[in-house]
Amino acid sequence: MKAAGFFIAFLALAAGLLPAQQVKWNFDKLAARASDSTEVSLDGALLQLGAKFLSDDDKDQAKIKKLVGGLKGIYIKTFEFKKPGEYSASDVEPFRAPLHAPEWQRIVGTHSNEDGESVEVYIKNDSKGIGGLVIISTAPKELTLVNIVGAVDLDSLSELGKHFDFPEVEVEKKK
Amino acid sequence: MATFEDELRLALRRQEPSPDFTERVLARVADAPTRRAPRMSQPWQRPMIRWVAPVAPALLLAAGGAEYRHYRGERAKAQVLLAVRIAGSKLNKAQRKVHMLAHRSNS
Repeated sequence: MKAAGFFIAFLALAAGLLPAQQVKWNFDKLAARASDSTEVSLDGALLQLGAKFLSDDDKDQAKIKKLVGGLKGIYIKTFEFKKPGEYSASDVEPFRAPLHAPEWQRIVGTHSNEDGESVEVYIKNDSKGIGGLVIISTAPKELTLVNIVGAVDLDSLSELGKHFDFPEVEVEKKK
Repeated sequence: MATFEDELRLALRRQEPSPDFTERVLARVADAPTRRAPRMSQPWQRPMIRWVAPVAPALLLAAGGAEYRHYRGERAKAQVLLAVRIAGSKLNKAQRKVHMLAHRSNS
């Protein structure tokens, strides 16, 4: 009994010491059907390296630098399809599976009948506040999955998404 | 009538040198000014190159490394900008819809 208690305490301690990790998703099924896909995979080291190259003199880049300073990773996958209906709700369901309570909490879920777009926002709670973010955005011909690991400032990120007009950057388009 | 072989034999017959031949040769050798064959100066024997040659590969490696780090940094920066653009726009879209719904329910 005492040993079991120690084991549980050890597991709890180990869980606390483990670094925040990205959500593991399998994209194989969708990748086979998508006409295009874009992938951004930035672990902590790469993220901080990229942040170093952001200019402090540029107001927008300085904001991004501050935003990513507290992050441990950003992982994004976007699939584009030639026709609507090439993926279904059942294809999206596995991406929601790991996002369960009490670790994850869905804070926003929107759907538009007009354009068929849905956006779901999940946050990961940890002792210090928000420890991660997942966005699942679906449109008839597009599916985007965003996983941000680390303490993310939602307001800043949303603000950046609103007014930044970045040029399209081709990173890793895959057929 | 001498045959061709006889003429050839006569022409190639052994002739003994004069008795003072050796002395004359040694005297000429002694009198000749000593001249060294010019040494070919090898490029790596020049002082500047001798120092630079071992350092050059290290310098090239360092320069290549710096260039690669810069390339990786610029690529990572482009990825960060793209990531923030995509994540920010999706989050902003959700936020706008929530605001819109809140505004509708208030009015």
